[in-house]
Amino acid sequence: MFQVEHLCLAYPGRRGQAAATILGDVTVDIERGGALTLVGPSGSGKSSLLHCLNRLEEPTGGTVRFDGCAITDWDPRELRRRAALVLQTPVMFEGTVRDNLSIRAAGVSLDLSEDRLRETLAEVGLDGGLLDREAATLSGGEKQRVTIARALLREPQALLLDEPTSALDPPNAALVVETGCRLRETRRLTIVVVTHSPELVRLLGSALLYLVKGRVQSYERLDGDANGAIADQRLQAFLAGSHPS
Amino acid sequence: MTGGAGIIDLSFWQLGLALLLVGVLVVVSARQALGLERDLAIGALRTLVQLYLVGLILAAVFSAARWYWVLLILVVMAAIATHAAVSRLAKPIPGIFWIAATALTVSTAATLTYVIGVVVRPHPWWEPQYLIPIAGMILGNSMTSAALAGERLQGDLAARRDEVEVRLALGFSGREAVQPLVRASLRAAMIPTVNGMMTVGLVQLPGMMTGQILAGSSPLVAIRYQIVVVFMLGVATALGSLMFVRLAVSRYLTPAHQLRRYLL
Repeated sequence: MFQVEHLCLAYPGRRGQAAATILGDVTVDIERGGALTLVGPSGSGKSSLLHCLNRLEEPTGGTVRFDGCAITDWDPRELRRRAALVLQTPVMFEGTVRDNLSIRAAGVSLDLSEDRLRETLAEVGLDGGLLDREAATLSGGEKQRVTIARALLREPQALLLDEPTSALDPPNAALVVETGCRLRETRRLTIVVVTHSPELVRLLGSALLYLVKGRVQSYERLDGDANGAIADQRLQAFLAGSHPS
Repeated sequence: MTGGAGIIDLSFWQLGLALLLVGVLVVVSARQALGLERDLAIGALRTLVQLYLVGLILAAVFSAARWYWVLLILVVMAAIATHAAVSRLAKPIPGIFWIAATALTVSTAATLTYVIGVVVRPHPWWEPQYLIPIAGMILGNSMTSAALAGERLQGDLAARRDEVEVRLALGFSGREAVQPLVRASLRAAMIPTVNGMMTVGLVQLPGMMTGQILAGSSPLVAIRYQIVVVFMLGVATALGSLMFVRLAVSRYLTPAHQLRRYLL
């Protein structure tokens, strides 16, 4: 689904300063229906890599292919509907849950029938009765699941989750983790997730990419075994809570 | 002492008496430990020097009566207004000086053309007595509104970055994604003008009207000019801030509907 080759990202430096390198020479493949977990210390470029996959960030080198085509050949708006991004902090717009689910760009047609909205809420484990609740009154976990539902209404092929549980308390985080894992099964969604949660890493299985200072330190496949052992010691230490640099 | 048309001309002694007011301010600042004495003294000195210089230059331009001198004055005024409009931005935006210069020049030129060419119609059209003060009012107001709009836009883009990125991630175009922020910036820029229209003449007499009345004009003539000025400033600030915000926000977006995060 995604083929990333020698990806580089740098921000232009301010006057007289060198450019800031965010990602350097990242290569990784994510198959259709597969999952990739991005881990690494803060500032290691995990979120930037995620933003490069749906071209919210413009890579300064290398290529990213989505569904067989270079992402530069896609209309960025269409690419982002197919590879939907969910941010760490759920952003709710003014209005009800229904208003938030119905938000769309001009000229884009979506199935926003009552049944469809209720079904989608059910997919993320929320009750259809929430549709007319003010979005601002939802709990953090509910908001995050509404943002996932908002992405699902666009019928994406891939879900990009940027630390979806880090702003949540453990029970809500567990619900979001469970939702993500279930969607991968039910919708055959490709999932790329940035997380510090070992639980999410183990539940999603598949592959792990460990980034430090924008470079790949190790890549490990868990081969679908939810309890698969992680061989790399740095990764083990990272997931156990100590952050080697 | 009186000048022509019954205007009381102010002598240097009378100016000196007015300067005593600043002396009162300095004493208040010192007694209240406000620490403003030095700034007040510099401010008073700058007021004297700047206004005398401007007075001398304008007197020379008025007596020379050449269109190119008038044009030069307008260009200098526009350059100073442009610099002032962008100097308060918290972070530099690439090309912002030329963006502000374009917005202020176009909005001022458009409004001035209508007011001078259609409404007031002086002869010759570049008559400095009309063109320079009217252009100055338009530029001053456009400058303030552009500065307000720019400050608000920059602050909102940093504070509401996630909101913009969520819209982009949901498939909105860059322009659609920033539209609520553009709207908020324009409102912030227009509020002083709109509030001014609501209370004009009720709270204080506007500067131009006051000047005309002091210069001996009938209040009925003065209000007609003031009405033109209020409408003119409304259009100029709207046009100037709209162009400025639209052009400035485009610096934060790429053709691929991305937000240039490194500018925030």
